[in-house]
Amino acid sequence: MANNPKQQTAVFLLRKFATSVVTLVGLTAFVFFMVKLIPGDEARVAAGENATPEQVEAIRKSLGFDQPLPVQFVTFIGRLLHGDLGTSISTHMSVAQGIQQVLPQTIELVVLAVIIVITVVTPLATLAALHRDGRTDYTIKILVVISAGLPTFWLALLLQYGLGTKAEIFPISGRLSRGISVPNRTGSVVLDSLLAGNPMAAWDGFQHLILPAIVLALPFGAQLFRMLRAELVQVLAREHLTVARAKGIPQRQLVTQHVLPNSIGPSITLVGIQFGAMVGAAVLVESVFGLVGIGSYLTNAVAQKDTFAVLGGVLVIGVLVVASNFVVDVLQLIRDPRLRAGQLG
Amino acid sequence: MATTLTKFSPERRNWLRSISGIPGTQIVIPIVVVLLLILALVGPLIAPESQVYRSDILSALAPPSSQHWLGTDEQGRDVFWRIIAGAQASLLSAVAIVTGFSIVGILVATIATLGGKWVDEVVMRVVDAALAFPPIIFALGVAAALGPSLNSAIIAMILTGWPVTARVLRGVMRETMSQAYVENARVLGVSRTRLMLRHVLPNSMDVLLVKWAGDIGNTILILGGLSFVGVGAQPPSAEWGAMVTSAKGIIATAPWAAFAPGVAIAITAVAFGLLGDILQVRFNPALRKR
Repeated sequence: MANNPKQQTAVFLLRKFATSVVTLVGLTAFVFFMVKLIPGDEARVAAGENATPEQVEAIRKSLGFDQPLPVQFVTFIGRLLHGDLGTSISTHMSVAQGIQQVLPQTIELVVLAVIIVITVVTPLATLAALHRDGRTDYTIKILVVISAGLPTFWLALLLQYGLGTKAEIFPISGRLSRGISVPNRTGSVVLDSLLAGNPMAAWDGFQHLILPAIVLALPFGAQLFRMLRAELVQVLAREHLTVARAKGIPQRQLVTQHVLPNSIGPSITLVGIQFGAMVGAAVLVESVFGLVGIGSYLTNAVAQKDTFAVLGGVLVIGVLVVASNFVVDVLQLIRDPRLRAGQLG
Repeated sequence: MATTLTKFSPERRNWLRSISGIPGTQIVIPIVVVLLLILALVGPLIAPESQVYRSDILSALAPPSSQHWLGTDEQGRDVFWRIIAGAQASLLSAVAIVTGFSIVGILVATIATLGGKWVDEVVMRVVDAALAFPPIIFALGVAAALGPSLNSAIIAMILTGWPVTARVLRGVMRETMSQAYVENARVLGVSRTRLMLRHVLPNSMDVLLVKWAGDIGNTILILGGLSFVGVGAQPPSAEWGAMVTSAKGIIATAPWAAFAPGVAIAITAVAFGLLGDILQVRFNPALRKR
């Protein structure tokens, strides 16, 4: 085996990467066979409701659904490797293209939600952990418990009505105000506005995103809070901190330099997992706020019984989840040298 | 891990507090949960049919009053009675879903535990892959195939819920299997089935129960969400998510019609979530010290 640290890291990363690929193959198999197991005839769906039995059989042949399952699976994988997710039954457009158009907007929303989660939860959890079992701790906890139990779609509806329609603080729905348009380059409205040198449009696009992002962030924030607080409480009880306190290191420095860096390990992993989960949860938020994204794409696909589009969308989200888990693993590795040593043995 | 012994440990200071640290919740939460479960069982029986389903345009969009405690919706149906009647569709479905995927999770974990190294490896890869699915997305797929209904939502959520349970249980089971007394029993020739039924499964029950309670909270939130995107319960069902959905068009004129069922979901989700926490502290005293 490799001896120097750089080679070891490379080997470790390769191993992680291989695991991700195996998981992805498993994921593909899982989606494929689940879809096959579910009752319902794809050929019939593709042919449309008024098709004759002969037409249905013809379509079954042309889509390859008359082949044995393993053959269908290999063909499916083969097409996937060429980046071909099939053609949408309802729009007759390539599924890959359709997803490419909407995905950046979802990513934009999710990234903002993740930023909100991290920036709000970190100080709250620190405050709660420092005042453990005190009034501040309880107050924050009650707020967190309640916010974790609020139904996303319902909260979105109420905020939209309260802060959008009534108070007119935020735009109600859509991605940009009427009359503003930016050329599409990356697919992300905020980025495109900045690239086009139009900061006003970027600000407008950002405002449209705030409410949806807050709603999306809330349940995930509650989850992160629990983990980070528990971790902080543990670290705060360690002996080296008592020593540091005894040496007169001010509280602020203690927290930012000694406590937080030692506590965020599990939280980084959680945020990585959350990133993927948020892409899934965005479905509800996009639906309420009339946003275009992978969620609305999937909802439409479902309404149209568009099997290939649903399959493609689900797979793309799965890939995002696996990819974000991989990135998190790498981040942990960079952050924590002990992990490198431990993992490499 | 928690054993039966710890349940009778004398060290029960703070028993009035749940892990969330809110005083009194240890008593209030179980009561709320029991009341909710009773409501889910008898709700449709006690709610007058005429108030729940029959439209009465003359009294439509009425604000809360002594006659209609939570107001009426766009068809003049009583929001309060609809919530009572809908408890069954919302809460019992969630109970069914969580119980369903817990059973699948137990089976998968048992296979992984008893099957040897390779079976375990393969099963855990499958679990990893299945974990990569956001449940709502998968439910959308299932609904596409089965047609949107409360039943497809239930099936979809059972199909997506099991991986986490399987993974957690597998950990517990492996730990039990590596205990000295289990090894000894194996040496004595106790069959694997008997070991599983007499020792490993009972030892996992507390973990399972904690997860069961917590999962019901999450499930009821997702189930409502599925109704909202149109793949769960369909109108005129009084399922709480469906109620919010059908009231979203009248939110400006009758905000109560959308507000009240959401509160019902939130109360139920919070109560079951806290119940999970309380059970966890009960079963695992090590957590109490934190």
